[in-house]
Amino acid sequence: MMSDFLTAREAGLALCQDCHKLIPWQQQGPRGSLCPRCGADVHLRKPHSISRTWALVITAAILLVPANVLPIMEVDSLGSAAYSTILDGIIFFFEDGSYAIGIIILTASVLVPCFKIIGIVLILLSIHFRWKSWLRHKTLLFRVIGFIGRWSMLDIFVIALLQVLVNFGYLSSIESAPAATYFAGVVLTTMFAAITFDPRLLWDA
Amino acid sequence: MEARIDKPDLENVMACPDCDLLLQQVDVVRGQKALCPRCGYMLYSAKKDSLDKTLALSFSGLILYLPANFLPLMTLDTLGLEKSGSIYDGVISLYQHRYFFVAIMVALTSLIFPLVKLSLLFLVSLALKLKFYPRFLSLCLRYYHHLDEWGMLEVYMVGILVTIIKMYHLAHIQYDAGFFCFIGLLWVALGSSVVLDEHLFWRLIEQKNS
Repeated sequence: MMSDFLTAREAGLALCQDCHKLIPWQQQGPRGSLCPRCGADVHLRKPHSISRTWALVITAAILLVPANVLPIMEVDSLGSAAYSTILDGIIFFFEDGSYAIGIIILTASVLVPCFKIIGIVLILLSIHFRWKSWLRHKTLLFRVIGFIGRWSMLDIFVIALLQVLVNFGYLSSIESAPAATYFAGVVLTTMFAAITFDPRLLWDA
Repeated sequence: MEARIDKPDLENVMACPDCDLLLQQVDVVRGQKALCPRCGYMLYSAKKDSLDKTLALSFSGLILYLPANFLPLMTLDTLGLEKSGSIYDGVISLYQHRYFFVAIMVALTSLIFPLVKLSLLFLVSLALKLKFYPRFLSLCLRYYHHLDEWGMLEVYMVGILVTIIKMYHLAHIQYDAGFFCFIGLLWVALGSSVVLDEHLFWRLIEQKNS
C-alpha cells in the first residue's frame, strides 16, 4: 500500500514549514536552505525532532508530579489558611453539585496533561520500534494533542482572576500557591513538545 | 475532496504537512475542503473575501483590545465589600505575589500575543489590500503563523466562566464593561483566524516578489 504513494522527500522536494511552499531540495550545509517565498529555514524534517521531543516530554512528566501534589491555591478566611491542590478543587465542584464545571476542570487540568504526555510517548515509541500500523490514527492523535494543549492554561487563568477578585483582606482572600509555577511549566513544555515533533517521521518509518 | 499525483510538476503540486504525501493542487468551491487522502489532514478550504474580512475583523479586534483587557471584567460584592478586576490586574497580582514565571505566561498568552497577532494580521491584510509590499511582510505573516496557538483568549473566556460559577453562590456578581468588550474581542479574534486564508496571503506576497 505504501508504495502507491510518492512523498515530497522521495521526489526530491522539501516543504517549507512556515508558508507551505514546496522547493527543490538540495542540501546546503547542515543548516538547510532558505525558503525563496518567506525566508524561513527549510529542512526536509524538523531538525533533532525526536531527541528534542523526548527531552521536553520527560521534563513535562517530571513537572507534572509537583504540579498535582503541591497546593495550587491558598484560601484564607478569617485568619485561617486552607491549601488546595488541583484535585481538591475538582472534588469541591463535584461535592457542590456543579458536575459540568467539575468535569471541565478535571479534563483541562488533569486528563489533558496526562493524555498529552502519554500520547506523545506512545508516538515516539512507535517511531523508535517502527510500529507501522494505525498510522492514520496516530497522526490524528498527534493533531488532537496539538489542539488541546493550550486548554490546560485554564486553571492558571482562573487562579489569576480569583486572586484579584477575592481579596477582602482578613475576611477572605485567595492566593496562588507553588504548584501554579510547576503547572504552567507543564503547559509550556508539552506545547513545545508538540511543536518540535514532526508527524512526518511516523510515515517515514 | 481528494487529490493525488503520480508525477511531480512543480507548478501545481503541494505536500501534506503531516505525512509529506505529494499532492496535486485542486480548486475547491465554497463549502468544500481538500483533505489529504493518506492521513486526513485538512489541506485547505474555500474562503470567500478572505482579505477584506481579515482586515475588518483584525481592525475591530484592535479597537476592542484596550477596553477588554484593562477595564474591570466584573465586580464581586460580599457583605457590602466590593472588589473588581481586569485581565491586566490578574497579571499584576501574580507578579506582586512573586509568581514571576506564571505572571509572564499569563501576560504573554492573554495580553501580549493576542495583541501581536491582531496587529500582524491587520498590518499584513492592510498592506496586501493597498497593494503595498514592504520586505517585512513575509516576516509578519511567518510570526503570525508561529504565534497562532499561543494566544489563548478562548481559554481565558472559559476561565472567566469557571470563576463566575465558583463565585456565584458566595457573592453578588456585577458584570462590567470589560466583560462585554472581552466577549467582543474573543469573537472578532476567533473570526479573524477563521477567515484568514494563509494560502491566498502567501500567493499574493509571492506574486509581488516574482
